[in-house]
Amino acid sequence: MNSSSGAVTVQGLAKQFGALRAIDTVDFSIAQGEFFTLLGPSGCGKTTTLRCVAGLESADTGRIEIDGKPVFDSATGLDLPANERAIGMVFQSYAVWPHMNVAENIGYPLKVRGVAGTQIAARVEEVLKLLDMAGLGGRMPSQLSGGQQQRVALGRALAIEPRVLLLDEPLSNLDAKLRELMRAELKLIQRRAGLPILYVTHDQVEALSMSDRIAVMSAGRIHHLAAPEEIYDRPATRFVLDFVGAVNYLPCTVAGHEGGRMRLDVGGGTLEIAAPERLPAAADLTVAIRPEDLELAATGADDAPRARITLRGFVGEGFEYRLELGGQSLRARTEKTVVFEEGAEVVLTARRGVLVDAAAGLDSAVAAA
Amino acid sequence: MTTSPTAPFENPRAARVWRLFGDGRMVLMIALALFVFLTVLYPLFQVVWRSFIVEGSLSLANYEAVFLRASNFVAVWNSLWVSVIATAISVVIGTLGAFVVMRTDIPWKGALSLLFVLPFAIPPLFSAMGWVQLAGPVGLISQGWRAMFGPGPVPWNIYSATGIIFVLGVSNYPLVFLTVAGALQRVDPTLEEAARTAGVGTGRIMRDITLPLVKPAIYGGGLLAFVSSIDNFGIPAVLGMRAQFYVLTTRIYEALTVPNMPLATAMSVLLVGVALVAMVGFRRAEGGRSQYAVIGGKSTTPGIIKLGRAKPWVVAAIVLTILIVVVAPLFALVLTSFLRFWGAPLTWEFLTTRHYEAIFNTPAARRGILNSLLLAAGAATILVFTTALISWLNIKGRVRGAGTLDAIGLIPFALPGSVIGVAMILAWSNPPVGPALYGTIWILLLAYIMRYMAFGLQTSRATLTQIHDSLEEAAMASGASRMRTVRDITLPLLRPGLVAGWILIYISAFNELTVSVLIWTSGSETIGVWIFLMQDSGFTGRAAALAVLTLPVILILYLLMRWYARLEERRQKRQG
Repeated sequence: MNSSSGAVTVQGLAKQFGALRAIDTVDFSIAQGEFFTLLGPSGCGKTTTLRCVAGLESADTGRIEIDGKPVFDSATGLDLPANERAIGMVFQSYAVWPHMNVAENIGYPLKVRGVAGTQIAARVEEVLKLLDMAGLGGRMPSQLSGGQQQRVALGRALAIEPRVLLLDEPLSNLDAKLRELMRAELKLIQRRAGLPILYVTHDQVEALSMSDRIAVMSAGRIHHLAAPEEIYDRPATRFVLDFVGAVNYLPCTVAGHEGGRMRLDVGGGTLEIAAPERLPAAADLTVAIRPEDLELAATGADDAPRARITLRGFVGEGFEYRLELGGQSLRARTEKTVVFEEGAEVVLTARRGVLVDAAAGLDSAVAAA
Repeated sequence: MTTSPTAPFENPRAARVWRLFGDGRMVLMIALALFVFLTVLYPLFQVVWRSFIVEGSLSLANYEAVFLRASNFVAVWNSLWVSVIATAISVVIGTLGAFVVMRTDIPWKGALSLLFVLPFAIPPLFSAMGWVQLAGPVGLISQGWRAMFGPGPVPWNIYSATGIIFVLGVSNYPLVFLTVAGALQRVDPTLEEAARTAGVGTGRIMRDITLPLVKPAIYGGGLLAFVSSIDNFGIPAVLGMRAQFYVLTTRIYEALTVPNMPLATAMSVLLVGVALVAMVGFRRAEGGRSQYAVIGGKSTTPGIIKLGRAKPWVVAAIVLTILIVVVAPLFALVLTSFLRFWGAPLTWEFLTTRHYEAIFNTPAARRGILNSLLLAAGAATILVFTTALISWLNIKGRVRGAGTLDAIGLIPFALPGSVIGVAMILAWSNPPVGPALYGTIWILLLAYIMRYMAFGLQTSRATLTQIHDSLEEAAMASGASRMRTVRDITLPLLRPGLVAGWILIYISAFNELTVSVLIWTSGSETIGVWIFLMQDSGFTGRAAALAVLTLPVILILYLLMRWYARLEERRQKRQG
């Protein structure tokens, strides 16, 4: 058995709930200090995977190592319970114990390990300072706001300086503004503590903005494991393309192909995108273009497609347009300076696009430029 | 940090079992299974099995005896129809009361509802005694009647089926009131608001929206009242035996005084049958309506009917009900306890404290008080912890088989007390191993444990399901072992439920009569048994005096339970 020096190594993990394959052979490893995210819709197996790493759930087969030490191995029957894995975990519901005050909550992991009272107090002070909550140790959880409870849960997970920090949708119960704030906070705290993180979320913005690497999961399998930019710009499968960010799909045929560029006939005009390294074989193609990659202009090339604006919405940092092109509805996002009235005709160009085999399902690979 | 030994198993199932043992769950499970087997399953098996045994061989002769002797058969029938009518009375009073208290703008709601549900805490035996002293041949009302309409017999007889039905009805309506009031409080108010915005008036909303929504609760409360009626011994014993009107519980009592054990056993099984048939009937009448997912957990401010000019009349009706149903019988009890003899004229020279003196001078009465206090405390304490652990294994510990334990523990809830009494005698008179507990006080403890196990299971289950799984998982992830987690997290969080369950079991066991009267022996008297024996043998004054002494204990406990429940509710609201 090879023993890598990663913070967490998961090999061939699989778990079945009755007839449902919750995890269908998952492999990944997290480097020391890395922020690693499992991203996917509910029921994709991301939380089950996290809970298997935590020791709260037992996988059927596979092997898990934390900090180089095996904690689960179906081949030998090894399955350490959660309390022997030296982890820190933050739950979606925070799970701050309502009968203990803040300091008792944060100090509990030290207390069960038999650390002396004075040392616990010192460490709790340190953690509270790290969380910007100094002086609040005596408060009861019911006296705290949602954001503060969240910090207590985080502080409790950090108290023992765990070998890995596991976070299960920790921000999903916060309101939008606080969530945005906590995203940055969490990242900063992680840098300060220098901890590897396994983060589970269904929120692509969270995943994209915080992670060093993301594993996009669906139906118990990892579809794409890469850095956020690559996930977004060069999704490995149609599912990843669809799940991460908004996207327009346009049926098209290849009209020309030269010098690393290709022209696509989308009906009513031609769009030009960078040619992928490998062209899909099928004749029926679809080009996927993200709303912010569609450029709107008053005039343009003669063969460019012309669409009509059906709806304009102001979204603060810019406009969100609804367009109609040959009976299809498209979304476009522009800067504030690009202003068109509803009903106006605009010329479309694409900054970037991805070719998809029209007949293939969500699991199929895509040809990214 | 401890390191657990690597499980030497290739097989994942074997590894799972190893883990269950390793963290203590399996040990706990085995201990609790043994507990449930001894306290519930073994006695239960004894009743059913022995009912088919005649002189050492299998036979239906015991059942034939029940049906061939008309008096036994009549008792089955009497139990049924008396309980049905009494339940109807309870449902009407309880439901009306719940709607008035929860959904109208009557004043003094807290005090009125507290007084209205008081019969919940008062032993039915006391009510029966109170009513005899009010409406019996020389009762206060009867005396008043004769003073107004001249001497001679009064045109009613409290020693009759009618008397039993009436007292059962007014003793059990709080069960309906509490269930319906609880449901009314939890009805999603937006459902009513939706009707209001559609232009429907408040009265119509109550009829078309609210009433159908709480119908399952009405049926549920009715079922509780029915089971409680059919289970009752004190009321038909005090009011029926003198008139030769027997129901199953009093028939079983008679059979055991003979003693005719096989007959009592067969009738016990029949009693279970009657109770089960009734339950199935209720479930069917309810028609699966409880599946409506409209009653949420949150208590909110629901729509209130403004009574307007009707308000004084409604208040008067409630106050009158409380006066008649709660105050009058208790007043009669107090009065009787101070009267030289029952039926004596109400003048100073006939007042006395000699009944109280008699109690303090009677060792059996003093023993009864001590026994009741200790038995109730013992049963409540043992049950609260064992049932909490069973519920925990079932809901949080996810140990296979714990669900079966829970289901077995709930069976006695459906068993009339007489059955439990007979089961105890059969199981512990001459057990295959261990000491014969019949004749000692321990058999009463075992009986109370069997009888109230469901109370413990239900309260601990209700509290446990409100504790989010992640609270325990967070402790595990923090490094606490399973059992440490139970100690540090689960039990403290369970405390409100445990305290509530403890008081509930304490009050019930303290008031218990149906079982105790079958299995008591000299030395193991309880308060209820002693009061019943005194009442039954004509020492009305002494019976009343001990009842009056007992009431403050019950009432204080009851108020404590209400106060604590309210405290917890407020605390949860603050946290939610």
